[in-house]
Amino acid sequence: MIDVFAALGHGFSVAATPLNLVFCLLGAVCGTLIGVLPGLGPVATISLLLPATYALDPIGAIIMLAGIYYGAQYGGSTTAILVNIPGESTSVVTAIDGYKMAQQGRAGEALAIAAIGSFLAGCFGTVVIALLGPPLALMTQKFASPDYFSLMILGLVSAVVLANGSPFRAVSMIFLGLLLGMVGMDINTGEARMTFGLIELSDGINFVALVMGLFGVAEVISNLENKFTRIVNHSKINSIWPSLKVLRGAWGAITRGTLIGTLFGILPGGGATIASFSSYALEKRVSKTPERFGNGAIEGVAGPESANNAAAQTSFVPLLTMGIPTSATMALLVGALTLHGIAPGPTIISRQPDLFWGLIASMFIGNAMLVIINLPLIGLWVRLLNVPYRILYLVIAVVCAIGVYSVNNSSFDIYMTVGFTALGYILRKLDAEPAPLLMGFVLGPMVEENFRRSLITSHGDPMVFLQRPISLVLLLLSAVLLISIVMPSISRRRQEVFQE
Amino acid sequence: MKRILLAALLMGTGLSATVASAQEWPSKPIKLVVPYAPGGYTDAVGRITARFLEKELSQTVIVENRAGGGGIVGSDLVSKSPGDGYTLCVCSVGAISIAPVAQTTSYDPLKSFKPISVVSTIPQTVIVNPSLPINSMEDLVKYAKANPGKLTYGSSGAGGLMYFSVALFDARVGTKMTHVPFKGGSPATAAVVSGEVNLSFTNMTDALPQIEANTVRALAVTSASRSEFLPKVATVAETVSPGYAVESWNGIMAPASTPDAIVTKISAALKKMAADPEVKKNMAVAGASTVFTTPAEYTAQIGKEVDQWRTLLKEISDKKT
Repeated sequence: MIDVFAALGHGFSVAATPLNLVFCLLGAVCGTLIGVLPGLGPVATISLLLPATYALDPIGAIIMLAGIYYGAQYGGSTTAILVNIPGESTSVVTAIDGYKMAQQGRAGEALAIAAIGSFLAGCFGTVVIALLGPPLALMTQKFASPDYFSLMILGLVSAVVLANGSPFRAVSMIFLGLLLGMVGMDINTGEARMTFGLIELSDGINFVALVMGLFGVAEVISNLENKFTRIVNHSKINSIWPSLKVLRGAWGAITRGTLIGTLFGILPGGGATIASFSSYALEKRVSKTPERFGNGAIEGVAGPESANNAAAQTSFVPLLTMGIPTSATMALLVGALTLHGIAPGPTIISRQPDLFWGLIASMFIGNAMLVIINLPLIGLWVRLLNVPYRILYLVIAVVCAIGVYSVNNSSFDIYMTVGFTALGYILRKLDAEPAPLLMGFVLGPMVEENFRRSLITSHGDPMVFLQRPISLVLLLLSAVLLISIVMPSISRRRQEVFQE
Repeated sequence: MKRILLAALLMGTGLSATVASAQEWPSKPIKLVVPYAPGGYTDAVGRITARFLEKELSQTVIVENRAGGGGIVGSDLVSKSPGDGYTLCVCSVGAISIAPVAQTTSYDPLKSFKPISVVSTIPQTVIVNPSLPINSMEDLVKYAKANPGKLTYGSSGAGGLMYFSVALFDARVGTKMTHVPFKGGSPATAAVVSGEVNLSFTNMTDALPQIEANTVRALAVTSASRSEFLPKVATVAETVSPGYAVESWNGIMAPASTPDAIVTKISAALKKMAADPEVKKNMAVAGASTVFTTPAEYTAQIGKEVDQWRTLLKEISDKKT
């Protein structure tokens, strides 16, 4: 343990050189900015900035690029809360209650809780990397396809909980999401599915185009239709600082969100998006007053925002300890390291201690910088609501388009955004919430992939899902959750028991 | 008469315009299309190449990532671009030599492009999970023959080189292993480390760090000759399958209509690049060897590879029926 602190101390001596502090700050500011701008994500930004880092020393470069990634998780909640448009996919669920809070004049409160939760979760995630990185990476090695399959099933079942309306609509939305997730090349056979011969669809539907269409532009359009609902009563904007009572209410959600995010971040394929969705579902499930969710519950902001930040930090674990990237952003960081002459692998901690510990130390510094940057900005963001919507919506639409285009440099993705905007608008009219759809879309391909892979490696034996302890536990949890949703009488009786 | 004169004049200016454009090339920034996502191995090769060409040609070289369809989207885009030397492709074996045979592409690998030079090659490494009692290629063949269908191998998906190289191996030595596709080479390699699959033919970039850390066991390399990165590891050809050679390459290709004068200029620049020590060093970090070929050699190589995969696919489909 003392070794860890000595090493971390050394890390701080690397990260706290004036130049590296500047890089850390640059990364944090840049990350906040792209987080706030809808559609523009860390992947596009890091790949744009990659050539600019050639001249830098590798540690400075990686400190800055990492800062962009976790900084984006801070900024993503801002537009979700203020205008119901998530800046990042991880903030989709934040919009559900965050925007309601903003409409009630509690925007400052929601933004402050999001920043505080993010800070605490980010620091906790970094402590976990420093203390437990290598053993945790070994733990993820115990996860095989059947376990992932069961985990994804649990995720799908909890997606029903996300919805505020009828479970039937939620389930339909999940299935629509699953269907959209099927588009693209079948990795088992190489056949193109539902691509209509369009080569652009062979890798599946672009996630950012889907999110920006369903959540971003569709929101703009439905606001244009109705002049009166969106406008916040400005006189009602309370103080920016949350009261002690609010903090106390959010505390449990922040803790649970942090733990969920830490866990999901480490698992390959899980990542920050699923962590934030799961945290929201959990908060609603454990709440004594679940009816507040969807109407401005602070836990619905605190939990997911903590979860996505913790996950953003711990998703560095597989990369830094095993050399295995688990997401597009991590793959990009591998590329950045390679271009700087460092091949990331299981030996990176012993061979590049300066880089490993310097990066971890910079994460503490970066999180502190982010909270310092973001808290004073809240006042400014809230005032953004005073900008006339006729100007604001144009800015939002243009930024969404740039963001979607920047993912693949493809104009086809813009057309797709237009299509999903139409779908999003129709779904709004039908009172069908798009959040469960997104969960189905994200999890569907992973469910299929892991299901088929499990059966291939077990040579066709379906019992493999029940024989593995991790998988069995997850499936039992899913079954319990499913029963409690399907039989409302059971859950009602349960609640009565709890209240007694 | 006037008309004819005018036409002649127009033709003349048109002609001189193309000649001039070839002489003045490059007079504006060059776009280097990388048909894969940023951060990958081809992206690294593309950026190293762009950095060198920028210095060599004193002209800005922009890397544009156009990922999708295992490299098909970006390659297709370049094949349809104007052949003026300002749009080039960092093409790769998968989209050029395999995809046109294994599926339908709107381009023909030899008719739609002018191959200029291979810039880097990277062999695959046969890696197995260390808990298996397999220490050599001979062991692997023996084990696979004793347990048909029981050994599992990870790949980057059904259309990728990681699958085709094992399919070719199975066909050559008469083994039968079970294909387990993943989404990309890196999770497939991770699955060999964790033991979820028994083995894979993984490219050197992904394999090298794991071999060094002893998390996997390297049995052989797939290239015709041994790799500079693992000189002690034998080739598949010298152990169990004479003549077996699979190598992943990245090369610069231009649209088919590109004038030869420009191709010659690029070829000369790439020849210098292959001798540049800094380029060599940077390629080595990515696990790649720096290579130069003439346009004719490159064209011949693609032709040979297309034949190899076409024969293999026919063998596989013949066996099924």
